[in-house]
Amino acid sequence: MSDYVKYSSMSEGDAFLDPPPSFQVSQDVVDKYIKSTNDLTKQLKVKDNEGDSVAPPMLAAVYVIDALRTRVGPPGGIHAKQTFKFHRPAKIGETLFTSATVLRLYQKKERNYVEMTTETLNQHGDLITTGLITRIWGKE
Amino acid sequence: MTTPLENYKGLSVGDQLPELIQFVDQAMIDAYADASGDVNPLHIDPEFAKTTFFGRTIAHGLLTLAFVSRVLSEWNWDGWAYGGELDVAFLGPVYPGDEVRVSGVIESIEQTEEGVFARCKLSCYCAERAVVKGTAVCQIL
Repeated sequence: MSDYVKYSSMSEGDAFLDPPPSFQVSQDVVDKYIKSTNDLTKQLKVKDNEGDSVAPPMLAAVYVIDALRTRVGPPGGIHAKQTFKFHRPAKIGETLFTSATVLRLYQKKERNYVEMTTETLNQHGDLITTGLITRIWGKE
Repeated sequence: MTTPLENYKGLSVGDQLPELIQFVDQAMIDAYADASGDVNPLHIDPEFAKTTFFGRTIAHGLLTLAFVSRVLSEWNWDGWAYGGELDVAFLGPVYPGDEVRVSGVIESIEQTEEGVFARCKLSCYCAERAVVKGTAVCQIL
């Protein structure tokens, strides 16, 4: 049995990830991300104005894709477009919840595309990131 | 009401963002797969990748966006991390062995009721091949 949904099973307007899966922003997760992306941003090495350690904004790529794991399609699918709005950086110790909605399903050059909107909140309901992801579905 | 500006706080339309050049190899792609949990075999399994359109492994598109984010973080951390917006298209693959060159230029500066924002045109190239293009909008604080 596949661990991804079938393209044909999705409909525009589907709100899924309900309840949204949780993602723990741990020191280990952030350290591994920073090392793998060779990110030397100095603000990541100091506390913010509230005394917290923050993650790179683009950690969104990790917690959003993690939440969408079963919705990015079978192996071989690729990322076509991405928008993000970073309302603020995620902080180490926060728990994030990402919800998503299928905005549009369409075909182009005999390939199946899906557009999904995403919204990530922390455990207090603070808005962290919103986005729109466009995926070319892999061969099922 | 939006008012276009030519410059603001020392930044001008046409200014270049700091350029970044990052070499990508399979070890970096594997490390990103491990860190992100995105273990799509297209990125990490050469045998599987041979069966795809690309014929070999490719880097995660979001790894390239991490390089874009490094540029914007260095240039304007507060404006990028606190309210920044990114809109990009992935135009081509980054292969192991490629050198990704990220560049950006301030395309416009606009004063709105919420503040002054710079719109930056972004591009990522591997040699002469465009792999990512798009825009970022950051407040100038």
